[in-house]
Amino acid sequence: MIIEKQHDLPAFRQAVRDWLADVVPPDWRARMAKASDDEFIAFQRWWMGERNKVGLGIPHWPKEYGGAGLDLKHQIIVAEEMARTDAPQARMFIISLIHMPGTLFPHGTEAQKRRWLAGVAQGDVWCQGFSEPNSGSDLASLRTRAVRDGDHYVVNGQKIWSSYSMYARYCLLLTRTDPEAPKHRGITYFIMDMQSPGVEVRPIRQANGRSEFGELFLSDVRVPAENMIGRENDGWRVAQATLASERGVIAFEGAERQRYEVEGFYRNAVESDAAWLADDQLRREFMGYVAELQAGRRLLRTLLRENASHNAPPSVLPSMVKLSGTSLRQRLCSFMVRIASIDGQRHGAITEDPFGSPMFEFLSSFSGTIAGGTNEIQRNIIAERGLGMPRV
Amino acid sequence: MAANAVETVDRTALDALREGVAGVLVEQSGSTAIHAFIDGKRALDRELWQQAAVLGWLAVGIPERHGGLGLGARGLAILHGELGRQATPGPYIATLAAAETIAACGDEAGQQRYLPRIAGGEISAAVPADLSRATASGALRCLGAPDAALLVAQTAEGWALFELASAEVSEVPIWDRTRTVIEVKLGTAKPAATLDRRAGDTLLRAMTLAIAADSAGAARSITERTIAYMKTREQFGQPIAGFQALKHRAADLVTKLAVMDELVAHAVERIEAGEPDADLWAMLAKAESTEAFAFIATDCTQLHGGVGFTWDFDPHIFLKRARLNEALATPNPALRDRAAAIMAEMARAERTALELAL
Repeated sequence: MIIEKQHDLPAFRQAVRDWLADVVPPDWRARMAKASDDEFIAFQRWWMGERNKVGLGIPHWPKEYGGAGLDLKHQIIVAEEMARTDAPQARMFIISLIHMPGTLFPHGTEAQKRRWLAGVAQGDVWCQGFSEPNSGSDLASLRTRAVRDGDHYVVNGQKIWSSYSMYARYCLLLTRTDPEAPKHRGITYFIMDMQSPGVEVRPIRQANGRSEFGELFLSDVRVPAENMIGRENDGWRVAQATLASERGVIAFEGAERQRYEVEGFYRNAVESDAAWLADDQLRREFMGYVAELQAGRRLLRTLLRENASHNAPPSVLPSMVKLSGTSLRQRLCSFMVRIASIDGQRHGAITEDPFGSPMFEFLSSFSGTIAGGTNEIQRNIIAERGLGMPRV
Repeated sequence: MAANAVETVDRTALDALREGVAGVLVEQSGSTAIHAFIDGKRALDRELWQQAAVLGWLAVGIPERHGGLGLGARGLAILHGELGRQATPGPYIATLAAAETIAACGDEAGQQRYLPRIAGGEISAAVPADLSRATASGALRCLGAPDAALLVAQTAEGWALFELASAEVSEVPIWDRTRTVIEVKLGTAKPAATLDRRAGDTLLRAMTLAIAADSAGAARSITERTIAYMKTREQFGQPIAGFQALKHRAADLVTKLAVMDELVAHAVERIEAGEPDADLWAMLAKAESTEAFAFIATDCTQLHGGVGFTWDFDPHIFLKRARLNEALATPNPALRDRAAAIMAEMARAERTALELAL
């Protein structure tokens, strides 16, 4: 019904739009604002199930692994229509949908791909065990130890900032297998079953009151050697594929959503003759954000085109996109807090209205500027890899 | 298919334009040449203007039936971007914006009389430096050369084209020596042709896009020059480009450049497609790009350290160009106000100003 129309883009778009109009519950935001953890998980699973029913669960994967093999234009259309409808996001499945296949496609054996890729369509949640309490920006200094014991490795250590790990079935895990080697050369990449004995997950309570991240405590966890991705001590290279897999796809949908948020916010302000519109300084500041928003959406399209072009040289555009986009989000949310004045200080979670809880959005914006390589790390990448400024 | 074929031809022509302009300017409008020019040792502005005429740069935005190349906003943005990159001196922004206004809003006789002469480099034109103060019966401050032959200006009767051959014109010394500002006694200028009521908006759109493109090109250039300098300047026994505090600033600058380029490209696209939000995006592109350019030129001056404060290095040339760009066309706060008003009007009509093609 939708996938069959892939050769006719306007019809494909219309089919996605019709399906969304039909399937998205109009009150989902209000429901999720008050939802318990169990309700959130159930809702996320329901949403993935609905997407799967129409072939939009893993549409960007190759056909041989259960996907629809859709190209970039279709992905853009799906993301645009999701944003336009304000459809739910598959937040809990981001690692499952993007990072896991982004790692297994280039580095997994055929047996590994057959074994793990199929589960995503059935709703397997994956998490990422990369950062540690003492290895954040300096990720390669990680110390979680894996020691060979027959046909298994025994893992001990601690991981942190693992999104939705409380609900995850599998974990993409980085471990230290050779403590004597230089730090980048003693790391091994595993897939860990989260139901293994010795895995304990504790949710982290965030500044915005939510708990989307978890901390993993690993005590004598036995991971089969066949779960190793790539070779022993070659995990750093494999991890680069995980880290590079996202390249703007999530940010693209985020920016499209933000477009409707900002546009809706401005329309409401115009209709209600909001006080801030009469303030010259605030109104002009807002127009600056509008300009940056539009430039950012274009920059993301440039990045997605670069991803799709097979002969494009590696660039630092993903870092520039992250740096500019997350900084814009933070400044925009900060602006929303300021114009809401005392009303904006009322405690509340997400609401129906765009920026209806500006403090929540502002606090949440730090996950953009800090997670996935802090903006300071992005600046290092831009300066060193992009501009050829020396590493000292 | 037809549309694609046209687009391919255009793209070839635009790529050729970019390469051609960049090649000539890198060779002839480099740092040494610009310094010689601002020190009065070389008439680089005239030399390049003659070449620009021969090479067809002045014809880029003029319709083909008047001897132009008809490359529209896309061609003009490329040209102004490259002129900005080399901080090239000359009345390009004023002349080409005036030509666009004549082409869009002048009568047939006026178009036939003036456009081929502009395209051929025979005459240059002046425009009000600040259009928000354009209505004046006395002295009008204009962007343009002291020997400009034409002026686009507004009087109580509306927008018109004036000949300046026998007008009282004096040059106003400005800090940016790569452009010139003149004062024209409007009463002494000879009305030459009327322009229709769209002339004000047309001129503003042409000027804002030209200034935005100039700013984006110039900002990229001074950033590249500054980073190159940081790789050679050593302190504490190493190139200063290795210090993280400075690397992070450089990364911020090039990220700003990427945003500026997209904003200029967006304005070009909306203008070319004749979208109702075209003016909004040209105004925002000018406001954002000129302020980003001023920020970048300021930081590049600082990143140069002591030599950044000298006459002999490049930063001050760009810094002054940036500050003039900010002030031209219409002050940025007023541009943002107008953009906000257009967006509000569109919101009331349930239309979007944020549409983007795939």
